[in-house]
Amino acid sequence: MSEEQLASRIKEIIVETLALEDVEPASIETDAPLFGEGLGLDSIDALELALAFHKEFGVRTQENDENNRQYYYSVGSLVKFITEKQAEAATSEA
Amino acid sequence: MVATSSNRSSPLDPALRKVRLGWVLVTVGIYTVLAPFGYAGLWLLCLLWRRDPPRRARRLQTITSRAYRLMHGWLTLTRVLSFRWRDVAAQLPAGPCIVIANHPTLVDVTAVTAALGGAISIVKPGLYRRAMIRPLLVGLGHVEGPGADPIRAGRVVDDIVDRLSWGVPVVIFPEGTRSPPGGLAPFGRVAFEAARRAGVPLVSLGIRCEPLYLSKEVAPYRPPHPMPELTVEVISVDHPDKSSESRALRDQAAQRYSVWL
Repeated sequence: MSEEQLASRIKEIIVETLALEDVEPASIETDAPLFGEGLGLDSIDALELALAFHKEFGVRTQENDENNRQYYYSVGSLVKFITEKQAEAATSEA
Repeated sequence: MVATSSNRSSPLDPALRKVRLGWVLVTVGIYTVLAPFGYAGLWLLCLLWRRDPPRRARRLQTITSRAYRLMHGWLTLTRVLSFRWRDVAAQLPAGPCIVIANHPTLVDVTAVTAALGGAISIVKPGLYRRAMIRPLLVGLGHVEGPGADPIRAGRVVDDIVDRLSWGVPVVIFPEGTRSPPGGLAPFGRVAFEAARRAGVPLVSLGIRCEPLYLSKEVAPYRPPHPMPELTVEVISVDHPDKSSESRALRDQAAQRYSVWL
């Protein structure tokens, strides 16, 4: 999956998982903040998304990972995070 | 029970302001002298009942709430800040519950704790992890907040649900920060998610301070005139269940507070 396709899929997951009825996936800016400003998601949304990303992509974060805020900053940062985690998993399986 | 305050001015106002400021300074002085002893005493008490955290929390919360009642009684007596709380605890549902409140002043935590006879709350991680304070917060049963890590909310919700069985109300300020004057900051969903998951009543408390004092905008050394009156009242009691949606609960509560304000 290319980064662009991954970003599109992440946006679809955000809208589906959080039931954002008035938001079109394509309208979510890739580099706009997801929490607080921008899309205005909160910490419970983050939990729901973490579960959804784990189901879809097989990646998960640890609760005390100091980089969590950075991973979940925007769709763009999530693309980078998921790509890296999937590459790590592929390397350890090989 | 809603307070009203007079806006009539009088020639004595400047003098009364100075008297009030004098009592503020006396209060700060007394606190500075006595606080170390109070903290030391609470520290020692935290060593007791270590094998039974719920029991320890109940006892320490009782002691703390009485200390806060004494503090607010003193502030009322010296006419720095009037506060009356008698009816609030009686309006809480029987059994465990989550209490939410708006957050206009610095003394909301002490006021709500005094009114309820004890309150477990969420504490910002930066404060919770300070070496000298952490044992007190742990002993009192307080929960470490999620901070900036969005993933930690899960553990916070789990801790809150766990505390509900301890016999002390869990109080959460959904705004996560002080309210802007006369308004509300956006509500987070931790309180509503915890109430939904545990299936416990959700009590909405309204806190008002008129005229505003001890806020981000009004410093302790600028007591307003006339004497500020701090009131706490029960706005509503909701009964969410596991099928409730925390987003809907949050929006409903925020709307209710907007109308109340």
